[in-house]
Amino acid sequence: MSNTASNLDMLMREFSTITHNMANVNTTGFKRRTNAFAAALEAKQARQNGEASEELEMYAGLDFSQGNLVQTARSLDLALSGKGFFMLETPTEPLYTRNGVFHLNENNQIVDGENRLVSGQGGPIIVPPTADASSLYVSPDGIVQAGELRLGQLQIVDFGADENKLQAVGTGAFRAPEDLTPDDATGTTVKQGFQEGSNVQMVPELVGLITVSRLYDANMKYITAKRESGESLMNVAMG
Amino acid sequence: MLRAFSTAATGMTAQQTMVDVIANNLANVNTSGFKRSQINFQDLLYTQLTEPGVEVSSGITAPVGVEIGNGVRVGDTTKVFSQGELENTGRNLDVAIQGNGLFQVTSPTGELRYTRDGSFQINGNGELVNAMGYTLGVSGLSDAKSVAIGSDGIVTIYDTSGGSSSAGTIQLASFPNPAGLRSEGNNLLSETLASGTATLGTAGQNGLGTLQANFLEKANVQMVTQLVNLIKAQRAYEMNSRAIRAGDDMLRTANDVVR
Repeated sequence: MSNTASNLDMLMREFSTITHNMANVNTTGFKRRTNAFAAALEAKQARQNGEASEELEMYAGLDFSQGNLVQTARSLDLALSGKGFFMLETPTEPLYTRNGVFHLNENNQIVDGENRLVSGQGGPIIVPPTADASSLYVSPDGIVQAGELRLGQLQIVDFGADENKLQAVGTGAFRAPEDLTPDDATGTTVKQGFQEGSNVQMVPELVGLITVSRLYDANMKYITAKRESGESLMNVAMG
Repeated sequence: MLRAFSTAATGMTAQQTMVDVIANNLANVNTSGFKRSQINFQDLLYTQLTEPGVEVSSGITAPVGVEIGNGVRVGDTTKVFSQGELENTGRNLDVAIQGNGLFQVTSPTGELRYTRDGSFQINGNGELVNAMGYTLGVSGLSDAKSVAIGSDGIVTIYDTSGGSSSAGTIQLASFPNPAGLRSEGNNLLSETLASGTATLGTAGQNGLGTLQANFLEKANVQMVTQLVNLIKAQRAYEMNSRAIRAGDDMLRTANDVVR
């Protein structure tokens, strides 16, 4: 009985995860949360043909698979093709993001949508006032140029297999735990004039949604059945 | 469960805003000098149910935490200042900017506004004005036989006797962050803290674009792209509403148990 209750709780969490993925189906650079609990529970219950006997752990990881690249033709829309992250500078700690929709701030520095400075190799990249954002050129290896003038190179970093330890802080950004330092990304290219779409796919999320609600139904019915059989036992005992 | 409802609701609201932005882009597909807006979404803050790296039992730490997101919000809408197509109108006071820069116009109350819409007129005082009657700082055009605007912005007037003289120069303004300009309607933009301050310069110099008389710049809205985005927004909206319905069904099951 208590396992069923905890399963219901977990299903509810998974339902929240799926709705969150769905809400972000059009969010640039968004990485979906995996939701493996329902699938594991379904497999287990099918195997045992009844209540799961041991507690299942919920694994809410991040799925860092590549999102579709969508062309926007805006010069400061940058997308990463391959593994890695753009680095953002904040007063407290560096953050990492796949959302490369950048702007220039009032000081001519390249910033993200939250006005956080985008790290270059050797400080933020400053665009001289004579050049404007629409005439910038960003090479596949992240070198930012205004005409012939080299302004700097974007810092593109990679966490390798440790990227699952990243913690999402919202606004498209991730924080790294203190003991985790990234390396320079290799083989990752920057695509100028593109945005990386969300890697949420509608159909699998909808299937997940149905699976969760059906499992929820089934586990609820199990509780009802248990209660009813408990009641009839009580009735026998009480005469 | 209540979290899932509000999460799906944030999704619906965000997609609805996307439809609003697209509708405005589409409505302005024939507005000269119009720059399309692009909507950017951001995921909301996460609720950490378990921090990654906490000790789950003695000596064993969780490799990943449990974090549940709270949905999405509109991060910003950015104006995209890409070049629009130039359309030949054959009218000598229609001016298009080829490249970077904005026309600076002054309202009757002295406020500065910026625009890419170069369909100009001559008003009763012989001043060059835009469609709203805002001046460009070029005057003395009342008794001109014809007016020519050069690619560098120099306005030359030809009088009836065949002589020519310069009536002034149309300068272009540039901003560190043109996307930070505020839309004032009527094709006009105004300076904000985010845009930085305007730098005036001569067309064709210091990275500014050149002027092209007899042409108007069309809107940089591409119909097909906008329609595709409209479908994306609509489907995402539908999907989020489905999540609310599924959640409702689950709650009904839970209610049935205690009936």
